[in-house]
Amino acid sequence: MTGFVHRQLRDFAIAGAFAILIASVAFVAVRNRELIERQLGLADRSAAALAEDREPLPTVHGALIGPALPSPKHAFLRHREVREGAAWRTLASSRPDDKLFYDAATRFDRDHQPFVDLLRDGSGRAVAARAHGTEVAVAVTVPIAPASYPLLVMIGVLGLGAALTAAGALAGGVAARIGAFAGLAVLAIPTLLWHSWFAALAIGLVALAVVQLQRAGLTDRLARGLHHHRVAVSFLAPAGLAMLALVAAPFLLGLILGFYDHHQGTWSFVGLHNFVEILSGNGLDDPLNFWFTLGVTVLWTTCNVVLHVVIGVALALLLSRKWMRGKGVFRMLLILPWAIPNYITALMWHGMFDGQYGAINSLLHAMGLSGVSWWTSWLPSFASNVITNTWLGFPFMMVVALGALQNIPTELYEAAAVDGASSWQRFRHITLPHLRPALGPAVALGSIWTFNMFNVIYLVSNGKPGGTTNILVTDAYRWAFERGDRYGMAAAYGTIIFGILLLWNVLGGRLVRSKEADA
Amino acid sequence: MTRQPRLATRIVAHVAVIVLVMVVLYPVMLVCKKAFEPGRDFALSPSPIPHTVTFDHFRTLFGQRGSHGEYLFVRQALNSVVAALATTVVGVFLSCTAAYALSRFKFPGRKAGLTTFVVVQMFPATLLIMPLYVVLDKLGLLNSLTGLVLVYSTTAIPFCVWTLKGYFDSLPRELEEAARIDGASAWLIFRKIILPLARPGLAVTALFSFMTAWNEFILASTFMTSESRYTLPVLIQSSVGEFSSQYGIFAAGAIVTSVPVMAVFYVLQKYLVGGLTAGAVKG
Repeated sequence: MTGFVHRQLRDFAIAGAFAILIASVAFVAVRNRELIERQLGLADRSAAALAEDREPLPTVHGALIGPALPSPKHAFLRHREVREGAAWRTLASSRPDDKLFYDAATRFDRDHQPFVDLLRDGSGRAVAARAHGTEVAVAVTVPIAPASYPLLVMIGVLGLGAALTAAGALAGGVAARIGAFAGLAVLAIPTLLWHSWFAALAIGLVALAVVQLQRAGLTDRLARGLHHHRVAVSFLAPAGLAMLALVAAPFLLGLILGFYDHHQGTWSFVGLHNFVEILSGNGLDDPLNFWFTLGVTVLWTTCNVVLHVVIGVALALLLSRKWMRGKGVFRMLLILPWAIPNYITALMWHGMFDGQYGAINSLLHAMGLSGVSWWTSWLPSFASNVITNTWLGFPFMMVVALGALQNIPTELYEAAAVDGASSWQRFRHITLPHLRPALGPAVALGSIWTFNMFNVIYLVSNGKPGGTTNILVTDAYRWAFERGDRYGMAAAYGTIIFGILLLWNVLGGRLVRSKEADA
Repeated sequence: MTRQPRLATRIVAHVAVIVLVMVVLYPVMLVCKKAFEPGRDFALSPSPIPHTVTFDHFRTLFGQRGSHGEYLFVRQALNSVVAALATTVVGVFLSCTAAYALSRFKFPGRKAGLTTFVVVQMFPATLLIMPLYVVLDKLGLLNSLTGLVLVYSTTAIPFCVWTLKGYFDSLPRELEEAARIDGASAWLIFRKIILPLARPGLAVTALFSFMTAWNEFILASTFMTSESRYTLPVLIQSSVGEFSSQYGIFAAGAIVTSVPVMAVFYVLQKYLVGGLTAGAVKG
């Protein structure tokens, strides 16, 4: 009997922790929303009051701002007069709120319409502006402290829930099920008080799920499994929790945001619109549509990986010859590009490709050739990216290939030489099969790195000319931060890129496995 | 290879390698030259040897002051060191236990867990920028080092787990089994036997986490808004802007930030490749 009560309370504790998490998230979200609404309301009503020559609300800092006039000392500077109460004075940068007043008045003059908005500095203050003749009435709220977490309420409902569960378990039978459900459902009460229906529904579903799982005996099996593998679980838990918080949560959020549109601080649900807009390629007549960028990305990845492997393997073959002098020194010098941070490499090459002062054009001139304007047409621009990335990427392949070559027993070559095999035959039948197991994963890893090589593209050609040398990741970044904060589009882009890489890896993995099966 | 090829072939091979070494060294020498040469642009002459030597660029770099009179370089260097060390600690601490579990224990979901770490590794941090930006904004962690460290750890953990798992796989199991027979607990075995044996693997993981944070600029420049919160890469990148290029300061900064990492890299590089391919081959 106590075993049964114990089991019911165990399930309650785990599901309860989950429910409390949901409730807490809901509390933070609701609290923030209410706070924002209150601040916006305060600012708006105060600005309206000022516009009608009444006093603003007591906690709100309000003022009438005059039109922008040329400064008496320097005609090219603009200054504004401000009136708080009766007297006019000049807006001064020394007073804390004057810059906010000035900016709000300037924004009002530009848009010619009243507005109310949160300040973008994360302080939670709101600002509102309305017309008052030729002047602008501006109101700025003070920061307010958010409501504190209702800890006692949560502890109370948790205790109540545990009591209900235990009581049900002691009664047994149907009462145990009702008790388990009611015990968890009680945790939804606070969320109902905050009017967050989604959270209440989610907690209700958790309660229902627990009861169903208990009926099927799945909670017991899960508990036994966890107990059996408790050592493994305890080793995995820290990283697992960190991954959940740091990777899974942002990742899921990214997937969800792809279905929303972001416009000037507000999000609206648009369904598949972002995906349709990206995949339809903006009507296909735009050279910068998704498919064009995808083509550039694939070409970019292919060119780089091929060059990395060819140069890397060729160098490794040379450096592994017995008759080669100074192998150690050459090896040390040749891996130098790998040791340099890649953003520095990219900036360095950016400087070298510069049309006017760049070292590359100077070298071309010194050789009697004419210089190239690297970023005004597509091919040189793309080439400048590839050259940079090849320079920084081949040492990795070289080192991997060198490691693999060292593991080939020399007897194999000796036996082949005795049998009269040509050097090509030896390469084809001895060297290559031994290189493949090490190079395969290196190529897989290298192709993912190159596919996502943001730094080189962003810092060398920066997409020039006209964004045509962008790859998918740099394009996604532009949607987020350089094309009017279209976060939703960027998130949808992220989802699509992830899909492509996943597909490529699954197919690539299949290919490698089937090759291994053949061999 | 038993037979030596002809002399001509050997000479051609040496020349080819030397040419490539020159291609590798030339840009690096140009940067060193620029760091010690007066003037803000790369000079018109393609020669990699400076004709006048000055320390002006280093002096300007170290002497930059922020709006409150603080030394910007010192602040930003400190930010970089703190962010990189914190990322290293988080990366190594969290991933060594998980990697050990994935390497030694059999449990349902092990395969799925391994696949997850592979898949996550393919996902570029650049694409997490946006959701992370929204999350950090909501948490009030924009423009804070804590936020930056959290973000860097997302990049570091999967790779560290992957590399360390490969390393643990290569360690012999006999010692652990002997200890288990003697009645040692799993944690004791992990602490007293595995961790000391895995020191090279841990060093590589630490180097990788450190480099992830130390060499990163795009997340830092997106999440950090005030100059005194920037990290060194942001400082260096912003000295070569679209409209005003200070290549002298860039070169000086590049030398100061790369030399320490390069030194550690050269010490540990032979383990780096081993870790990478060991993890990849066995999956």
